[in-house]
Order: sequence, then C-alpha cells, then structure tokens
Amino acid sequence: MSNINGKVYALNVITPMKPWKTWILRTAFFVLDHFKPLQQDLINLSFIEFARWVIIPRNEFPYLGGSQSKEALKYDYLLFFSNFNGTWNQYIDAFSAVLSHGLNLIWHWSEKFPGSVPVTLFKEYIARVQFDTDYYYTAYPHATANDLKSAHIVQASFNSLSLVAGRSNPQQFADAYLRFVLAVQAHLGETGEAPVVG
Amino acid sequence: MPNQNGALYGLTILSPIIDDAKATPSHDLQIRSYLAKLSTREESPFALAPGTHLARLVVMDDVIYVGMPACEEHLKSKYLVFESNCDGDLDTYLTGLAASIPEHLDAIWKHCVGYPGAANRKAFVEYMKACQLETTFYFAAVNDRSVPETLRALQTQSAVADFVATHQGVDPVTLQRDFIQFAAKLQSQPTPPPGSMGPYREIKTGGHNE
Repeated sequence: MSNINGKVYALNVITPMKPWKTWILRTAFFVLDHFKPLQQDLINLSFIEFARWVIIPRNEFPYLGGSQSKEALKYDYLLFFSNFNGTWNQYIDAFSAVLSHGLNLIWHWSEKFPGSVPVTLFKEYIARVQFDTDYYYTAYPHATANDLKSAHIVQASFNSLSLVAGRSNPQQFADAYLRFVLAVQAHLGETGEAPVVG
Repeated sequence: MPNQNGALYGLTILSPIIDDAKATPSHDLQIRSYLAKLSTREESPFALAPGTHLARLVVMDDVIYVGMPACEEHLKSKYLVFESNCDGDLDTYLTGLAASIPEHLDAIWKHCVGYPGAANRKAFVEYMKACQLETTFYFAAVNDRSVPETLRALQTQSAVADFVATHQGVDPVTLQRDFIQFAAKLQSQPTPPPGSMGPYREIKTGGHNE
C-alpha cells in the first residue's frame, strides 16, 4: 500500500448514491464541464495535478461472463480519484475552505454526506469512504502542479531567447536576457525531494 | 468527450478479479504481492512504456457501507482499478503498453476474469475497453503537454535556475557567449527518463490519512 509517490498523493473515494439522484449529479458535471469559469476555484487550488469523478450505474460494473457473477446492487456509485500535492489534511482542509459549495453540489447526492463544512465531519466521511492505493506511479515525482506550470513557462521563454541569442549583438542580447529573467524569475523554484510527512 | 481533457486522456478501468476458493494465496493477494515489489522509479513498467503521466493500480475489495439509514450491500467480485492519466488516444496508449511491458501486464492481469494476454494486441485492447468506465468529469492542471515535453521543461527549469544564479552581473559579451553554449548543451542532452529524480522510498506509508 502506498498512497504517496514523491510529492503526489493518490486519493481514492467511493460513495453510494440512490440511482434517481445520479442524474442530478450528471447534470451538475455537464454544467461544470461546459462552463469553464466554474472550474476556476479548482484551478486556483493549484495543488491538484489530475482529478476525476466517475459515476458507475449499479448495473454497469464491468461484467465479462465466465466465472464472474453479475453484480446486484441497489445503489449507483461515485468514484473520485485525485492526484494532489501535500498532505491529506491540507488537501481536505483546502477543499473544504475553498470549494465547499462545489463539493456540496457533487457529494450532496451521496448517502450520509454530512456537508463539506464543518471540516471535521467532512474529514470523518472522506476517511470512511477512502480506500488505499496499492501501486502509484508518476513520471515526475519531484514536481508539484505549480512546478509543472512554471517549467512550461520557463521552457517557452527559454526557447524564445534561444532563437534571438545568435542573431543579436551583445547589448541587444543582454537586454533580451534581462527581460527573460524578469519573466521567469518567479518560476525558477527548486524542485526536489518532498518534505517527510510525519 | 469526458475521458479527454485537452491532449490528455483519463483512463479508468475496473477489471473483475478471479474469485477462486481453491487459489492459495487468493488472486487479489497475488496482485497485491506483485505490485508491492514493483519499482515506482525509472524501472517502473509505466516509465518503460510511453505516455503515462500518473497512474495507479488499486485492488478494490468491496464498496463501502456508510452506515444507517443507508443499505448495506456488497460486491460479488473484487476489482482491479487501473487509473491512468496519459497522452494521446486510447488505442495508441494501450497498444504501447502491450508492446512495451507485456510481461508486467500479464503478471498483473492474469488474475482477472477473461484476460486474454498482452501478446494478442487486438484482444488485449478489446479486453481493456470492455473493462473501461467512462469518466464523468476529468480535470488536468496542465492538459496540453506530453510526458517528454514535461520532463524536458523540468530539466530546462532547473538548468536555467543554475545559469541565472551563476551569471549575475556578467558583461554582455560573456553572457551571450555562455548562453549560446549553455543552450546548445542543454538541447543536446537527453530528456530525463520518466520516473527518475524522485526519492527512493522503502515502502510503505502507514494509515491513509497521513
């Protein structure tokens, strides 16, 4: 079992929903997906690399025949997978503080969801419905979501400067270099090993 | 398409695990045992195969009962959950996995119902798609860069930080000459392997809310 790899934490959550409520949630996700400004809080949180919600209707668990028995469930299920930076407590705290309305809209339809505020009850609920990761891989374990965004900004500016480096005189290059440093200086933070979580 | 966000694909697969009372240890435990020994660094199967940003494998034993007044119910199968955030289209990604790491795929998925083996690429892709769930909502912080582009950018970021730190107050002629040499050297360097540069960790963590 390993929920952590480098600077990323893998969270798995599954919650039951009454089937008639599933359609309300699907509508909410449709709206969230098609009106990008509604995703701004999720983007602003800035420590989520990837996240997804998956609704599994009660009769659509993969069934391959053979020795497998078909599931007979009363509930639909909502799966949530998140890849975030930082600790579990920091993540749930930030989720609760910044995205409380959004979270309530998503999980309100799940059985026994207590609301995302107050955070203590919310944490108890998430801890109850979480299951652990057996194997977790990331191509860049030393980097956070902000590191990734910054690295791409540095790369684009670096490519632009490289293009003019051989075509300008030293003073022109020095001026361009200064503009380059001003543009990227906030994006040169050191990546490396994550702090030990205790 | 909900499985896609920009250039990235969010793959979610639930493969039913064989339930055989005569198997010792049980198939789910054999999967867990294999996964516990797999490297998470550049020797990882997902580092050897192209296109995986982040991926996880999870044995899901059952659904979770949240307490009264909800009904208690249970799954009839355990499921192997494969969640991957990958480049490109699904067929290319799955074919790449089958071509690059067939022995790992077979070692893991041979414990799942109906798994045809990775040697038959067409059957493998069809099997994976039969087990696939459509993502309802998918979020990616950076959705327009491939794995090699991201690794290259991280390498550049680190090298530029060092260059800037060592070239403060340098005269324009030296600065230009050094930068051209630096840029040429950086561009000639290979991209760091996926999964590298991370810390070596002896498994494992304790409770799940660390």
